[in-house]
Amino acid sequence: MFKSIFTRLLQHLISQNSWTNSILQPFSGKSVQFNSGLMSASVVILDNGSLAIAGETNVADAIVTIPPSLLIRLIAKDESAKMQISIDGDTHLASELAKVFANMRWDYEDDLSKIVGDIPANKIGSITRDAVYSVKETSINLAEMLSEYWQEENPIIAKKRHLEEFNTQVDTLRSDVARFEKKLAQYLLQHQQKYPKNSDSNSSAVDNTH
Amino acid sequence: MTNEHDTHFGFKTVNEADKAKKVGEVFHSVASKYDLMNDVMSAGLHRGWKRFAVEISGVSQGDKILDIAGGSGDLSKLFAKKVGADGQVILTDINSSMLGVGRDRMLDAGLNVPALQCDAEKLPFPDNHFDCVIVAFGLRNMTHKDLALAEMQRVLKIGGRLLVLEFSKVWQPLSKLYDVYSFKLLPFMGKVLAKDSESYQYLAESIRMHPDQETLKQMMLDAGLSKVDYYNLAAGVVALHKGYKT
Repeated sequence: MFKSIFTRLLQHLISQNSWTNSILQPFSGKSVQFNSGLMSASVVILDNGSLAIAGETNVADAIVTIPPSLLIRLIAKDESAKMQISIDGDTHLASELAKVFANMRWDYEDDLSKIVGDIPANKIGSITRDAVYSVKETSINLAEMLSEYWQEENPIIAKKRHLEEFNTQVDTLRSDVARFEKKLAQYLLQHQQKYPKNSDSNSSAVDNTH
Repeated sequence: MTNEHDTHFGFKTVNEADKAKKVGEVFHSVASKYDLMNDVMSAGLHRGWKRFAVEISGVSQGDKILDIAGGSGDLSKLFAKKVGADGQVILTDINSSMLGVGRDRMLDAGLNVPALQCDAEKLPFPDNHFDCVIVAFGLRNMTHKDLALAEMQRVLKIGGRLLVLEFSKVWQPLSKLYDVYSFKLLPFMGKVLAKDSESYQYLAESIRMHPDQETLKQMMLDAGLSKVDYYNLAAGVVALHKGYKT
């Protein structure tokens, strides 16, 4: 039931984005499994360059794993989140399919025009676009205003500059500690070579200091 | 006692030579009301299953399609629209009454779909000829399913697809309910709507005797198809198997 509905949706999107056929057709018969922790779905590429949900016993040629924590960042179009997606198997196939999904657009005005006609569909489309844009702008303005208030007037969140300074200090501390650890290991080795009998008691004394 | 030339006809055991004749009688009897009964029996779902089969087939403009046991021509009609004027769909059925219904439908719809009466176990087509072969709700009525599958594989081009849409093994928790429906309600509806409860009793029995999803998958692999996969539809009441000729 769901497979049939999703397949129909996928094929509808593909028919609206005909540029995808030339990308997908060379991979016909191959399939990619998407795992997000919350759910898993396999998509198979058909011979006509279209897509369908794979069957019950399909063995995927590539597996794309997206941790649930990344989903929100991906939706928010955070480019750095893409680096954390793991791909097993045919990476070329998975990356081409991911490219298709990332660039595919739903032409809702075209679908709407079949129900209400071209002009009303265009009007509804532009009103929706304007509404989405103004909601987005208002949200950004509100977020900026609140962050400014909480940083300047009633400081409960840190400024970006302060955070960056703190991060730099933590990095410096981390590298200093690492250097110190190496130095200490070197001294211990020298001490062990010099006083082999007392090495056990000394090393346990050092362990206790940790 | 059974011998090697016996086969099943529903729950009965008959001689292989008699099965085709008996199946023929069933379909001669139900031909005129076949679609009405399908709609009633499946609550219209069979149309969705067939549409799904066409979506999964991956056929494009200009492809050659063979519709085996196509009967009233539902699938041929959908495929004809998909392959366009450059493509070709051939509708076949072993039963002349069913084929007659399908042929008339194609003509009424203004579609150029040749209708051909032939046995799926001895297909009158050359090797490597079709891009896609489909058999919907027909395989279970065939006497030698292995021979029929091998023939379908033979006529497919390299890279071509075989699709088998057929009743299958329902999800276990629903099996009792499905039994009541099949053996009580189905023959009753056959009696009321088609005035033929026996034929619908056979349909119910033949569904139970048909191989389950995994067995049919193995049969398709044995027939030389590869990458065989299947979809359970309506909790396994029906399964769509797809395999490639490589």
